[in-house]
Amino acid sequence: MSLSLKAKLLSNEPVGPEIFLLTLEAPAIAAEARPGQFVMLRVCPGPEPLLARPFSIHGVEGGKLLILYQVKGKGTRLLSQARPGVELLTWGPLGRGFDLDAKRPVLVAGGMGIAPMAFAAERLEERGAAFEAFYGLAAKEALVAWDSVSGEGAFYLESWGWTGASEDGSVGHHGLVTEPLRERLKQGGERPGAVLACGPLPMLKAVALLCAEFGVACQTSLEAPMACGVGACLGCAIPSAGGGYLRACQEGPVMEASLVDWKKI
Amino acid sequence: MSRATDMAVFVGGVRLANPVLAASGTFGYGREYSPYLEPGAIGGLVTKGVSLQPRAGNPPPRIVETACGMLNAIGLANVGLNEFLAHKLPWLAEQPGAVVVNLYGESVGEFAELARRLGAEPGVDALELNVSCPNVKEGGMAFGCHPGAVGEVTAAAVAEAQGKPVWVKLTPNVTDLAPMALAAAQAGAQAVSLINTLLAMAIDAGTRRPKLANVVGGLSGPAVKPVGLRMVWQVANALKAEHPSVDVVGLGGIMSGIDAAEYLIAGAKAVQVGTASFTDPAAAGRIAAELAAYCAEQGVSAAELSGSLRI
Repeated sequence: MSLSLKAKLLSNEPVGPEIFLLTLEAPAIAAEARPGQFVMLRVCPGPEPLLARPFSIHGVEGGKLLILYQVKGKGTRLLSQARPGVELLTWGPLGRGFDLDAKRPVLVAGGMGIAPMAFAAERLEERGAAFEAFYGLAAKEALVAWDSVSGEGAFYLESWGWTGASEDGSVGHHGLVTEPLRERLKQGGERPGAVLACGPLPMLKAVALLCAEFGVACQTSLEAPMACGVGACLGCAIPSAGGGYLRACQEGPVMEASLVDWKKI
Repeated sequence: MSRATDMAVFVGGVRLANPVLAASGTFGYGREYSPYLEPGAIGGLVTKGVSLQPRAGNPPPRIVETACGMLNAIGLANVGLNEFLAHKLPWLAEQPGAVVVNLYGESVGEFAELARRLGAEPGVDALELNVSCPNVKEGGMAFGCHPGAVGEVTAAAVAEAQGKPVWVKLTPNVTDLAPMALAAAQAGAQAVSLINTLLAMAIDAGTRRPKLANVVGGLSGPAVKPVGLRMVWQVANALKAEHPSVDVVGLGGIMSGIDAAEYLIAGAKAVQVGTASFTDPAAAGRIAAELAAYCAEQGVSAAELSGSLRI
């Protein structure tokens, strides 16, 4: 069940270039949150900016909700200036998350796509489920320091055994994350039950294509401009492979790649 | 401490427990908002526009935020009449508030057919004709810009609606709205709802491309409230002179109970809350409570507040 509440901001710390980790006190939402789901967040109560912003859920810690975000425009800039103690109107958890029941899934994150993928990895770890993970970045500097205590910027890549790739070669494989992913899918070995991906649209398209080529199920997390988050405004239309449109907020944000018309998106 | 006051209103042939309705296109088919509103918190809702056949809507991007507002060009995406009757209306009919079904046809015949099928449904309290959508090629705003066409569509729907009240939702994208309202009233409408969105556009200077795939869209939100208030006041005055039994339902940028009160003062009998629900899923219920508090403080009923502008 989704619900709306005024969530108290507990911390809002920079963890990378224009990247912030926001912690909100929202036990009722945190209790229900699943990886791949999102919340709508009003960055200020006034009429400017008017609309709430959708944010992937990055994790939960007890009753706390973690949001990892990059400053992109007016709304996220204002959010980055919000201080502990303020209350932000928040509703969720919303949408369809990842199906974590696939056998030996492969996680693929690109850039800020790490936000929901880290949460997925955490839940898989908790279950003791085997999985593999890939993380693609533009450059090493974009690595997110998840663990503010240890300050470990390379946390995902090293401690969790993630395979890294960077476009400038500063960390991991020199190139796109889809290159090591292709190598992995080409191997014989144990076949992944599904690939779970979140990242920039070109990456998602490439991952969807790769999975189709190797006959592996693929779940992609998509985004679109969105006003309400609850299925009413019909703003977040994603072209459907079957014709017409799917709502990123209801039928998504995580959709089977085969349901999406990647040529029209 | 002010005493609670009577918030019930009789508007456009429908009794509402309070004068706040959720506006068409911003509240889905009601169920989308059920986690966020107490049952009975609002007087009722107006559904997303229903057409005879399902409509996929326009290509994305369909929405863009603007200063104190937003543009949309959804293109009347909806599940179609059959799906609405089979899977949306049964749930709605069990809810405490009034159910007003917004309907959209591409021809007078389609409006009549929709009115006939929906008019026969016991769960429907009133019909709202959408002759004002700025985002579709056929029908929509084309009907709403000519008094003759408004009258023709309204008369056809009223004739088929089997006694169900017919409301007509009007577009602000005309020089003078009063002739449209009078034409609707003359043809048997029991209320007019105004305003729909203002035709508008947004441009990305970096790419020199329109921000909406449809190029133009409808502006809504707090930015349009002064326009809506002016039009409600003008139309209410025109109707009072010639068709005093026909009501005005006011909408456009209502974000608070005070905004709603302003629309009632301007001459509306009831109001609709639209874009506010996007910015806060509990907005419509909150606005109804704030309006009740305002009325109590002022010592007036909702009905008394209506048309009480002091000039």
